Amino acid sequence: MTGNIWLAVLWLLPFIGALPLLFFSGKKAGYACGRMAVFTAAAEFLLSLILAVNTFFNGGSTCAISGVMGFGLTFSMEGFNAVYLVILSFMWMTAVFFSPEYMRGHENLRRYYLFTLLTLGATAGVFLSADLITLFLFFEIMSFTSYVWVAQEETRGALRAAGTYLSVAVLGGMVMLMGMFLLYHLTGTLSIAELRAACAAVKERGVLFAAGLMMLVGFGAKAGMFPLHIWLPKAHPVAPAPASALLSGVLTKAGILGIILLCGSVLFGEERFGFLVLVLGVITMFLGAVLGVFSVDLKRTFACSSVSQVGFILTGLGALNLLPEKMLAIDGAFLHMVNHSLIKLVLFLLAGIVYKNLHSLDFNEIRGFGKGKPFFFAAYVSAALAIGGMPLFSGYISKTLLHEAIVESAHMYGGGTHTLLVAAEWIFLVSGGMTVAYMLKVFFVLFVDSPAAKHTHVRESENYVSNPVKCLLAVPAVLFAVFGMLPGITMQKIAGWAEPFFNGGAFLEGKDAVHYFSLGNLKGALISIVIGVFLYFVFVRRFLCEKEEGGMYYKNCIPVWLDLEDGIYRPLCCYLLPLLFEVPCRLADGLVSEKFFARILPFMLAVPCRILDKFVGGMVYVVNRTVFRQVREKEHVVMGDRLAYYAGSAADCISRIYRRVSKKGEKEGRSYVERFRDGEEKLSRTVRLVTRSVSYGLLLSCIGLLMTMLYLLME
Amino acid sequence: MNGNLILLVPVFLPVIAGLLLAFPKIFPDRKTRWWFVSAVCAAELIMVFCAAGGGYELTLARFNDRLAFVFRPDKLSMLFGGLAAFMWLWASIFSEKYFHGGDERVYQCFFLASIGVIVALCFSGNLVTMYMFYELMTLFMLPLVVWERTKEAIHAGYSFFFYSIAGAFLGLSGFFIFYSCGISLEFVAGGHITAEMARDNGGLLLLACLLGIVGFGSKAGMFPLHGWLPVAHPVAPAPASALLSGNVTKMGVLFIMRIIYYIAGVDFVRGTYVQYTFIVLTLLTILMGSVIASREQLLKRRLAYSTVSQVSYVLFGLALMNPAAMLGALFHVVFHSVAKNTLFLSAGAIIHQTGITRADGLKGIGKRMPKTIAMFTVVSLTLVGIPPTSAFLSKWYLAEGALVSGIPAVSYLGPAILLISAIFTAAYLLPISVSGFLPGINEGEQVIYHREKEYKSMLLPMAVLSVAAVYFGIFPNGLMHFVDAIIQSVF
Repeated sequence: MTGNIWLAVLWLLPFIGALPLLFFSGKKAGYACGRMAVFTAAAEFLLSLILAVNTFFNGGSTCAISGVMGFGLTFSMEGFNAVYLVILSFMWMTAVFFSPEYMRGHENLRRYYLFTLLTLGATAGVFLSADLITLFLFFEIMSFTSYVWVAQEETRGALRAAGTYLSVAVLGGMVMLMGMFLLYHLTGTLSIAELRAACAAVKERGVLFAAGLMMLVGFGAKAGMFPLHIWLPKAHPVAPAPASALLSGVLTKAGILGIILLCGSVLFGEERFGFLVLVLGVITMFLGAVLGVFSVDLKRTFACSSVSQVGFILTGLGALNLLPEKMLAIDGAFLHMVNHSLIKLVLFLLAGIVYKNLHSLDFNEIRGFGKGKPFFFAAYVSAALAIGGMPLFSGYISKTLLHEAIVESAHMYGGGTHTLLVAAEWIFLVSGGMTVAYMLKVFFVLFVDSPAAKHTHVRESENYVSNPVKCLLAVPAVLFAVFGMLPGITMQKIAGWAEPFFNGGAFLEGKDAVHYFSLGNLKGALISIVIGVFLYFVFVRRFLCEKEEGGMYYKNCIPVWLDLEDGIYRPLCCYLLPLLFEVPCRLADGLVSEKFFARILPFMLAVPCRILDKFVGGMVYVVNRTVFRQVREKEHVVMGDRLAYYAGSAADCISRIYRRVSKKGEKEGRSYVERFRDGEEKLSRTVRLVTRSVSYGLLLSCIGLLMTMLYLLME
Repeated sequence: MNGNLILLVPVFLPVIAGLLLAFPKIFPDRKTRWWFVSAVCAAELIMVFCAAGGGYELTLARFNDRLAFVFRPDKLSMLFGGLAAFMWLWASIFSEKYFHGGDERVYQCFFLASIGVIVALCFSGNLVTMYMFYELMTLFMLPLVVWERTKEAIHAGYSFFFYSIAGAFLGLSGFFIFYSCGISLEFVAGGHITAEMARDNGGLLLLACLLGIVGFGSKAGMFPLHGWLPVAHPVAPAPASALLSGNVTKMGVLFIMRIIYYIAGVDFVRGTYVQYTFIVLTLLTILMGSVIASREQLLKRRLAYSTVSQVSYVLFGLALMNPAAMLGALFHVVFHSVAKNTLFLSAGAIIHQTGITRADGLKGIGKRMPKTIAMFTVVSLTLVGIPPTSAFLSKWYLAEGALVSGIPAVSYLGPAILLISAIFTAAYLLPISVSGFLPGINEGEQVIYHREKEYKSMLLPMAVLSVAAVYFGIFPNGLMHFVDAIIQSVF
């Protein structure tokens, strides 16, 4: 092991901290595990804080553990890693602090804490990794350990969502691995620091592009990028709230981290790739926001919001490859990552507080929960204003940068591309508006609507949340305002540390300062807010709510069939694709099987053998039947009954064959020719008798009369 | 007979020990008998390394100047033989609790004899010797397959026997061609076929190679002669099916390696229709095995199809004929053997404890047998190829080998099929662990899963093997040096 050993300690610590959990058992196990987890997460936070401070003063450090997995693991801590490690370990600490009170009375606490710590270690590894193999290793561990979070509650919905999560993770992981194979094959290196130079030298751009696309699938699946976002709105609502905060705040960012590498290093300067990411980002943010507006479940709203915000970040990353002034895109994307992580921490923990007290997240059942709870109110409003992009709050800064990035890229191009980018700008503003709309919706639910009559709320009680959690939640809530008011000395600095990571390791030269509070920039935010308020009061209140006695009723207007997963992915992956693969495989499998050797092959061999065997005998038979045939006596044919004769001969023939095949009834019955002839004679005799009779005449005249009558009636 | 007689010890020690057990007077107590079996296997393991490591040579009998029975173990022998002896040891420890009643002696007798024969097969220094022990291996494994003596077992026995004989005859006809073309049947790293021989009899020699590949591919479960695996595995006792799947299939791999790399030579086969046919057959098998496995509900049959698929990973690596792919292939020999033995042993433990044989009946099994299923999960992840477990490395090198091979279509299609197959592997293994540990809470009723007793002697082999499955993934360097030496010699 060479370099700064503490980097290895940083990701190993949670794994080591998880070990004792394996041995706790008994009644108090849940409590003890909780303590251990809190202790480990706090230690992790302290360590990462120290390392981050060290990084800022003494510069970055690296660590290599050679020999592991044949490739060796490498870690590095630069500005970006340091900032994100501090954020993620802080979030983990807060979530773990909140866990004991949230999980009170739940089953399988040991499992929950164990996998929370394992995921912490893996996530720290992802954010520390200095080469793609290390990244992939920790990424996969993270996917599998976080699976347990989603399945934790073991309800039917949770297991189903967890199944989706696992499938997306496995599929994404494998496709990503394929991309890495290709990349390694093309460049011969997977070190993140060397990636940009190595990729720039690659001649086979098409293959490189394919590799980038495959990795985009893998990382995009984790980030929640359209069309792989399906797991996100399902998994977050069913996971325990602290876990959803981390899933949404940190794990999606691990996917973003990979996309940063793609845009900033692997396919740096590829405009097509930039467009692709930008378009996917725009779709993601719009789709997520629309789903968020329609949602009637607190955590689902926040989950959809996560999808939408990831779209915002992706837009910035796409613009990175389109713009000459990369600073706008990089700062915007990174700051929005940071903002979104912290905002989602606050929002999901608030949702956790609601769930912990009311055991429900349905808008109609949690109405009015926030009334009379000043801390709850303040935390929510701060987070909501931040995510809504209200000036003087942090979200405004990052969104302004992202908006500028799109506007600037629109100036770069002419013709159709220009129109497309202008459309993207407007979708950006509208999505921002919808963000405001769904946050307003939640605000009205929590603080304005009167509580549903049948639910008694924990109203004035002070202990709806414990004090340590309050303190920890207050930190980001205050930070939003501080960041938003003093962007120059806070956010700008943080972004400056992270820039080299986005830029393939190079610092940016000669950047302009952005005037955040200039009229032009304020205009964008105001447009969004106006759209949002308008949307809420005109659309949401009119079409998505119904007045009922004692308050509003929130309708679930999204039809069930409009679900990408149930409509397309599940039928495709569960039935169609396996079937498509299975049929030829079964055929190939059965081709040379038991049956082939036991039945088909003997049969195929037997046919020619039989032919050879019977060859001479067959000739004799044929001769017997043709030349030396016994001549039969010609039967007497009467003129009148020719039909009976032919039909009878045919029937005779059939019955002879039948008897031979079924091997029964050796003796021949009476010939059918005779039987038919008798029958025909009998029939003609009867007809003759009938036509001569009186009653037949009478019958005919009756029919005549009847016809006359009918004719008259018709007339 | 001249040469070092120490080579006879690992061959005859277990055979004689097995014969001893055939006498009912010896070791009447079943527990002592099982201890004896395990002790012999442990001694065998040590002896294999001692005998193979010394560079000894032994000529058993010589018929003329080209035909002889020769033992000449090299590093490849040590890898395959040592692996087999290692697995036999753990399978014997597992078996003690697995068998209850029945004709154990027959099983133990042939169990021991077969490891002797397999080690002899690995030690063989030429094709004739190897062929003889190959047929003997089939004969000695047969009683293990039909041990249950049910109608299905006997049918499976026939199937096992027939496929093996059919394949061996195909291979044998290849040897006749080699012999008649004047190619030496001795194993020499790098092969014998020179440019001159290739010019004279190229077509015939290629045909011989192809016959050998397809014929011995039968033991390795390669399409088109893979049919015995899904029939024989479900009926054989679990430890026997573990060994069949983990080690006996590898003997087919070893045979193919010997033909391509030690008789014909890589340069002769590379770029010919034989190589392309081989690659196509292996890729087809990889995909077919994993797809069918994902649709099979009988657990052991699912695992059998999984073996069909996974052993073809190894063959794919051999077929690519470059160092990186061969590294992946030899890695996968070890890793698959470790993982598949564990999977079959845990399937055996499940059958022994609960009697469940179908995968869809395993809901909640993780609550009943947590340790067994935990190990099952670890090796499942290994087989899928999730880092840091071992099979990730073998798959990585296989894919790298495919990419650098430069064979049109295969260099990209190969890795793609490996990954599709890995996804199917996840689809047939992970749901067992998932529904095992997370059966879900049904509305209203909650099933209480009672804990089954998990025997230590059953857990120990699985624990050792699953630790090995992860250990080799994190610290592969020792194994890599060993395998590198083999690869250096043949290229």
